[in-house]
Amino acid sequence: MPYVAIVDDEEPVRKALKRLLRASGLEAESYASGKHFLEASALRRPDCLVLDLHMPGMSGLQLMHEMRAAGAMVPTVVITAYDEPATRDQCLAAGAAAYLRKPLDERLLLNAISATMKRTPKENHQ
Amino acid sequence: MDAHTATPGVAAALRPPRWLLPALAVAIGYYVAARLGMAFTLHPHPISTLWPPNALLLAALLLTAGRDWWWLLLAALPGHIAAELQSGVPTVMVLGWYASNCSEALIGASLLRVFVRGVPRLDSLRDTGILLLTAALAAPVFSTFIDAALVRLIGWGTSTYWDLVSTRLFSNALAALMVVPLILAWAAWLAAGPAKMRGARYAEAAALFSGLLAVCLLAFAMPHSDAHTAPAVFYAPLPFLLWAAVRFGPLGVVSALPAMAVATIWGTVHGLGPFTTETPQDTAREMQLFLITASVPLLLLAVALAERSRIERESRSQLTHLSRVAMLGELSGGIAHELNQPLTAILANAQAAQHFLANKPGERAILSEILQDIILADKRAGDVIDRLRAMFKRGETRTEALDPNRLVRDVMSLAHGDMTTRGIEVVPRLAASLPEIRGDRIQLQQVILNLIVNAADAMSMCAPNDRVLTVHTLATKGRVHINVIDRGPGFTVASEILFEAFYTTKPQGLGLGLSISKSIVSAHGGRLRAVTRKGGGAAFLITLPALARRP
Repeated sequence: MPYVAIVDDEEPVRKALKRLLRASGLEAESYASGKHFLEASALRRPDCLVLDLHMPGMSGLQLMHEMRAAGAMVPTVVITAYDEPATRDQCLAAGAAAYLRKPLDERLLLNAISATMKRTPKENHQ
Repeated sequence: MDAHTATPGVAAALRPPRWLLPALAVAIGYYVAARLGMAFTLHPHPISTLWPPNALLLAALLLTAGRDWWWLLLAALPGHIAAELQSGVPTVMVLGWYASNCSEALIGASLLRVFVRGVPRLDSLRDTGILLLTAALAAPVFSTFIDAALVRLIGWGTSTYWDLVSTRLFSNALAALMVVPLILAWAAWLAAGPAKMRGARYAEAAALFSGLLAVCLLAFAMPHSDAHTAPAVFYAPLPFLLWAAVRFGPLGVVSALPAMAVATIWGTVHGLGPFTTETPQDTAREMQLFLITASVPLLLLAVALAERSRIERESRSQLTHLSRVAMLGELSGGIAHELNQPLTAILANAQAAQHFLANKPGERAILSEILQDIILADKRAGDVIDRLRAMFKRGETRTEALDPNRLVRDVMSLAHGDMTTRGIEVVPRLAASLPEIRGDRIQLQQVILNLIVNAADAMSMCAPNDRVLTVHTLATKGRVHINVIDRGPGFTVASEILFEAFYTTKPQGLGLGLSISKSIVSAHGGRLRAVTRKGGGAAFLITLPALARRP
C-alpha cells in the first residue's frame, strides 16, 4: 500500500486529510511541522508528501529546499490556503510535482498523488 | 407553547397604554405651568408676562407620536379647568382659552413636523432654527389672533382686539422660547442615559447657576428709583450665559435662560428692577423684548458649538471606521487563508464520510466523530466571519468592561491567516491574571491589530527565523500594558513623528493607522508609545487604566 505523509500545521486539516486518504485506501501519516517530518522520514521514507505551504517556523518551501539539499526529495504535492500568483512557480521550481489550492477536491488530490508516484523515482530522487 | 403565547396577551391587556404616563405628566405639568403663569402677572390690570402651559403642551406633543396627540390635548383640559376656574373667569371663556392654548401647541407641533422628522435636536442649527420659527414665532402669532378673537367674541374684559394680541403674543412667544427647548433638551439628556459627571462638574454648574441668579436678582430685582439705568446692567448676566453656552452646551443655556427669566420677571412683577414704567403693558413688553433678544443669540451660539463638536465627532468616527476597513482590506488574503482552512477540513471530512458510508456503513462511531469535527470546523469559520463582521460594522462607541488578554487573543486569531502566510511567528506572552479595562472592544482591537500588522510589515525583510512578533500583556499598579514587539529594523525618526497623521513608510500606506490608534488609546484615558529596542526591533506600548478588581 502506498504510503503518503501529510505535513500541515493545522490540526483539523491534518486529521481530516489523513482520514480521507486512509478511507481512499492509502496508508497515511501526518506531521505538524517540517521538522517532525524530517525526523520521521529518516526512519521511513514516504512514497508521496502532501505539504502545506504556509507554516510557522519552517515553511513548505524551506522543507523542499532542505530535502533537495540532503538529496532526499520526496515526490511532493503542495497544498495552500493562500494562493499568490508567484507561489505556484516558486513551488514547482523548488521541485514540487503538483500545486493545489485549498479547499481540496478529493479527485484532484488523489489524481495528483497517484500521478506524482508514477513519476520515476530517479526523476524525483535525483 | 400555549402558556408562552398566552402570557404576552395577558401582559399586554394589563399593561397601561403608552400615552397614559405622558398624559398624566401633561395634566399635572399644565396645571403647575398655568399657576406659574398667573403668578407672573402684572397688576392692577392683569398683564401676563410669561404664559408657559401652551409651550409645555407644545413640547409634550413634539416628544409624542402624532396618533397620541389627542390624548395629551385632552389631558390638558382638567389641568386648565382646575387652574382657570380659581380665578373667577366665566366657563365659556375658560373653554375658549383652552381651545386657543391647544391651537398654539397644535400649530407649532404640526408645522415643525412638516420640516423636522422626529424630535428636533438641539445640536443641529437647522432643527433649532426651525424650532424657533415654528414653535416660538409662528405658533404664538397664529394662536394669538385666535385667542384675541375669542376673548372679544365672548366679551370678556374691556381690552381692544390689538391690545389683546400684543400682550398675549409676547407672553406666549417668550414662554415658547424658554420652555420648549428646556423640555426637549432635558428629555434628550434623559433618553441618552445621563452621563456620569464628575464632582467638579457639578460644582461648576452650581457656581454658574448661583452666580447667574445672584447677578440677575441684583440687576433686575432690586429697588430701582432712578429713571435712568446704566446699559451695562443689562449685560450683567451675559458672562454667565456665555459660560453656560461654552461649558455646558445647549442643555446649560436652555436651563440658564429660564433661570434668568424667572428672576427678572419675579423682580418686575414685584415692582423692582429697571423695567418698571408708567403702564404695565409697556413694562411687560420691554422686559419680554429684553429676554427674547438676549436668549435667541445665546441659544443659537450654544447650538452652533454643539453642532460643530457633533460633526467633528462624527467625522472622527467615520475616519476611524474607514481606516479599520482599509486595514481589513489589506488582511483579505490572510482572511481567505483563515476561512479556507476550516473549509478544507470540512470538505475532506465529508468526503471521507462518503467513503465510510459506501464501504463500512456499519461503523457509526467514526461517522459521528467525523460529524463532530465538521461541526467544529464550521464553527471556527463562523467565528472568523463574526469577528470580521464586528470589525466592518460602523457603530457608536460602546464602552464595557473588557479582558485585555481576550482582546489580544481575538485580534491574534483575526490576524492568524495573515501572519501565517507571511511566515511570522506570533508569540503571546499573556499575564495569567489581569484586571479588566473599560473601553470599546472594536476600537481597542483595531489598535492592537494595527500594531500587529505594522510589526509584521516591519519584519518583511527579516530572515525567516527572525520573523517573531511578541504580544505581551502585564499589569502594574492601576494600569494594564499591552506591548507589541517586533524584530524589524526599528525606526530612525523621533517616535512622536510616527504618530503624526499622514506619516508613513509604506508605499501603499495612508499614514493614518498610528495616528488614529493613538487617539483611540487617548480617548480611553491611556497612552500609546513607541520605542526602539536595544537588541533591534521596535516595541509599541499601550498603557490603559485598569478597572478596580472585583472582590
